[in-house]
Amino acid sequence: MMEIEIFGWTPLDYIQTIVDGILFGATYAIIAIGFTLIFGVMDKLNLAYAATALAGAYLSWGVGTQIPLPAPAAYAISALAAGVFGYLVYICNFRYIPQGAPLASLLATIGMLLFLEEIIVHATEGMPQPYPALFDDVMLEWGDFGVRGDLLFVFGLCVLATAFLLYVLYRTKLGMATRAVAQQPVAAQLCGMSVQGTNSTTFVIAGVIGGIAGAMVGASVGILSPLLTVPVTVKGLIAAVIGGLGSIPGAIVGGLLIGALENTFQLVRGVTERDMYVMLLLFAFLAFRPGGIFGTASRHE
Amino acid sequence: MKKQTLSLLSAVAVAALMGTVATPAAADRVVKIAGFGAKSGVVRSFGINTEAVMQAAVEHINSEGGVKLGDGTMAKIEMTFDDDRCNAEEGISVLRKIASSDALVAVGPTCSNVAEPLFGILQRSVDDAGDSGLQIPVFTDTAIKGGLAKISEWAFRNVPNENEMYRTLFLWVKENYPDLQTMFGGVEEDFAHSRFTWYQVMDKRAQEAGFEVKGFAKWLLADTNFTQQVREMKKAKPDFVAISSHPFTLCGVLKEMNRQRVRPKLMIGLTSSSSMETLQGCSKAANGIIIPSSFAPVTDRAKMVAKLTDEKGGSADLHSAAAWEIVEVLTSVIESEGIMAKADTVQEDRRKVRDGLAKLETTNGLIGTIMREMDGEATKPYLYVHAQDGEWAVLHDPSAS
Repeated sequence: MMEIEIFGWTPLDYIQTIVDGILFGATYAIIAIGFTLIFGVMDKLNLAYAATALAGAYLSWGVGTQIPLPAPAAYAISALAAGVFGYLVYICNFRYIPQGAPLASLLATIGMLLFLEEIIVHATEGMPQPYPALFDDVMLEWGDFGVRGDLLFVFGLCVLATAFLLYVLYRTKLGMATRAVAQQPVAAQLCGMSVQGTNSTTFVIAGVIGGIAGAMVGASVGILSPLLTVPVTVKGLIAAVIGGLGSIPGAIVGGLLIGALENTFQLVRGVTERDMYVMLLLFAFLAFRPGGIFGTASRHE
Repeated sequence: MKKQTLSLLSAVAVAALMGTVATPAAADRVVKIAGFGAKSGVVRSFGINTEAVMQAAVEHINSEGGVKLGDGTMAKIEMTFDDDRCNAEEGISVLRKIASSDALVAVGPTCSNVAEPLFGILQRSVDDAGDSGLQIPVFTDTAIKGGLAKISEWAFRNVPNENEMYRTLFLWVKENYPDLQTMFGGVEEDFAHSRFTWYQVMDKRAQEAGFEVKGFAKWLLADTNFTQQVREMKKAKPDFVAISSHPFTLCGVLKEMNRQRVRPKLMIGLTSSSSMETLQGCSKAANGIIIPSSFAPVTDRAKMVAKLTDEKGGSADLHSAAAWEIVEVLTSVIESEGIMAKADTVQEDRRKVRDGLAKLETTNGLIGTIMREMDGEATKPYLYVHAQDGEWAVLHDPSAS
């Protein structure tokens, strides 16, 4: 029997590619959530976000070289460290930069991204470092179709982290304050909420989520490398923009979509053209739907 | 008695004066060698290692008295090391700075993507008055992409000849693993060296040796997800794989192969991956991978270099160890060509160094004799090493067979 082929690949190849992409896209989604959370609250982009996420993962690796750590402990340390780094980024790049100078904080975060990357390079001599993964020897197979156990775990943990974040945002006073500052900063302040306190807490929460993402990126590759910071930043940002900056469901959908699409582009057009199509998609969204899938043109008043 | 004492004191004073005059004159005669390479960014370890090896070599030579100049004076070698960040523009800027200093020769760069444009700003042919390119010899230890030295007669390299290394390696595999028939390749597509080595070397030499290349997968230097590429590899069911990729993505691919239970009978890697980075990143997954390498601590000299480099905080590998050989070659050329190392002879000395390097037919390498080629390239002795329990161990010495 002749097998159906589309652009030289069977439907199973496409399904496999899309599933792999979605699972890996969970890490993009979680980074995009961090971008979107900070943008939602401050209306500013923190381009150092993925770098702080990976810095957290690096710190947990560093601790692991001194004291043998089980993988979950390494992930927890990564989350906590990235939370601290997130706070430091807030202090250095946002707290004392005037609200009316968004470009200044944007450029400051680019500087912070490069600074953190270079610190990592100097601390590790640029050498790739092994990072612990859970279930990396598990492969679920059904005939020619297979799913990596570790990616499934990464996906599950990213879902849990997102659920935790949504709980904090929609079921706690802190979340209510965060949403209030995001939607009506002046009114929130008049009601007695501390805008700066809420902003710094948002950076810490986003940092903790980012630390989990950083650890999951390391776990899914099995290695940490300074090479990871820029691609993770770019993919996370694209996912956030496509999903709609400021929208958490948008960040999730954007991340998974980017993961699936880049894998599909790679299958059909090859690795050298893959990112070109992802960028074209970004241009298309910016031109025809700048608010992204879930975003609106303007949310702040 | 008083007169005698006075004469003696005068003699001592004159001798002391002569001494003080002579000492600065000797101290002024130093030979300056300017190293450069990547000391920041993700290839920082390459620059760190080269610098450590150069420092160790310079200290070793100076401790033995230094280098003899054209007028018989002994001079010490002084070295500097600049960071080019593995970036072509910065590499060119660093070389221009070196050319405007009194350094006689530049040693570097790390990256082939820097070496190629950088050799392009050198004078193409010596004595071409119409060519205003830089006239300073550049001796490269690391940038390995094939055939770059022919760009300029001022460019020299002490890097292994990959064509030869992989030609003999595939023939050796054919002879020693007769059951292997098919190969699948992998290439890091956006890095000059790995790309060149796959398309121009590994693929062709494997087919020449009689292997069927069943296909190859591509990825990029900063890629993190290799599931698709390894699935392609798995589908092809090759007897063995050859991966032209630097340590970060090599480790990513090897780990993915483990996850997908792709277990070829043999794995072959890129020369540059026979380094500590690979063992640091994925020693377990890399176990067994065979790589041709132009350095291993197998001779007394090589062992000494590895030890001295270690003391300087670096690691001697196939790239960095070449810097030791370069410093030794430069020392012998300086002595044979009558270098004066004076402020007003810098350009003349540079030309003498270039001509001296161009004249060489063989040099004394750390693991054997290095053949110097007419086009400024080298044919270096090499070994096949394989990753074994977190170390690179010598598997086979082709020169012994």
